[in-house]
Amino acid sequence: MKLRILLADDHEIVRRGLCALLQKHEGWEVCGEASDGREAVEMAKQLKPDVVIVDIGMPHLNGLDTTRQLLQHDPNFKVIVLTITDSDQIIREALDAGARGFVLKSDAARDLVSAVEALQSKRMFFTPRVNDLVLAGFLEKGHAISRNEPPNLPTLTAREREVTQLLAEGKSSKEVATVLNLSTKTVETHRSNIMRKLSLHSIRDLVVYAIKNNIIQIQMPPQIQRPTETTVA
Amino acid sequence: MAVRILLVDDHPIVRQGLRTLLEGRAGWEVVGEASDGVEALDKVESLQPDVVVLDITMPRMNGLEACRLIQQKPKASSLEVLVVTQHDSPQMMREALDAGARGYVVKSNAARDLLEAVEAVSQHRLFTAMARPPQASC
Repeated sequence: MKLRILLADDHEIVRRGLCALLQKHEGWEVCGEASDGREAVEMAKQLKPDVVIVDIGMPHLNGLDTTRQLLQHDPNFKVIVLTITDSDQIIREALDAGARGFVLKSDAARDLVSAVEALQSKRMFFTPRVNDLVLAGFLEKGHAISRNEPPNLPTLTAREREVTQLLAEGKSSKEVATVLNLSTKTVETHRSNIMRKLSLHSIRDLVVYAIKNNIIQIQMPPQIQRPTETTVA
Repeated sequence: MAVRILLVDDHPIVRQGLRTLLEGRAGWEVVGEASDGVEALDKVESLQPDVVVLDITMPRMNGLEACRLIQQKPKASSLEVLVVTQHDSPQMMREALDAGARGYVVKSNAARDLLEAVEAVSQHRLFTAMARPPQASC
């Protein structure tokens, strides 16, 4: 029986690359593709894949919350997180969310097949940096996996995190209500609770919070470089 | 029409996705890949492609700088650069065109726009497209 894999990444060109990579492997098939986290959760419920590969930086529902929702629905889901960065905080959140694999996007062509094979054999797959952090946390006998503890922030509920992401992406309360199939009034209540819990005073503060806490990710443009005097022969 | 294409992106998985898409077109050939601007300059020299598909955010040398330097190559007159980037911004598009790119495609819609864009720039026509809603792939 084939190993069935669900891919979730908002970039179709990346999904094509992942498909090409995974489908070369005999006995594996990509059973579905999702372009955001919300779609991934719905497709996973229907398709019941053996492995779900989720990008962290997806619109509407990021990869970390996607992982949390998948595992809340069915703790047997095996999730590999794809990320462009392996910062301590991202690693900690991915592990807390229940991911069993963690692969840097830049290394996906090299590591993803190994990661899927590991999960197929009921093992986990992490980058060397994740292994180092986990080991460091173990040796310190602490509960954290990193020396850099995050500030003690009030905990948002899963729903509040969803609302936070959608508001930070620029959606109005009405648009958020449509996406989440809630009333506008309910969304506004969530919004007030979020602002109160986090002591935020404006949407700008909320966006900053969302970026700092990996609820949304932004791509920084390169520093614009003016033409140089260099002449290339 | 035969088109020789060089792919430049620091993520191999993105290059794989671009390759899969481009190699489906009869007569088009991906002649090489580079993972940053420095490597791209070398491969432009050695492979002499017709079209360079170029990412912007890359290590060592970004795509804008590489694009400017490619224009200074002696054999660059018939070569065209198509920028394929995550930056969905008119300002970045202007920077890319100022740097000498003939086309600009946003990565989130590359699967939809890429073939049309390569066809246009390979015929020395301008192609620019900002992001549109995404679609499914394989």
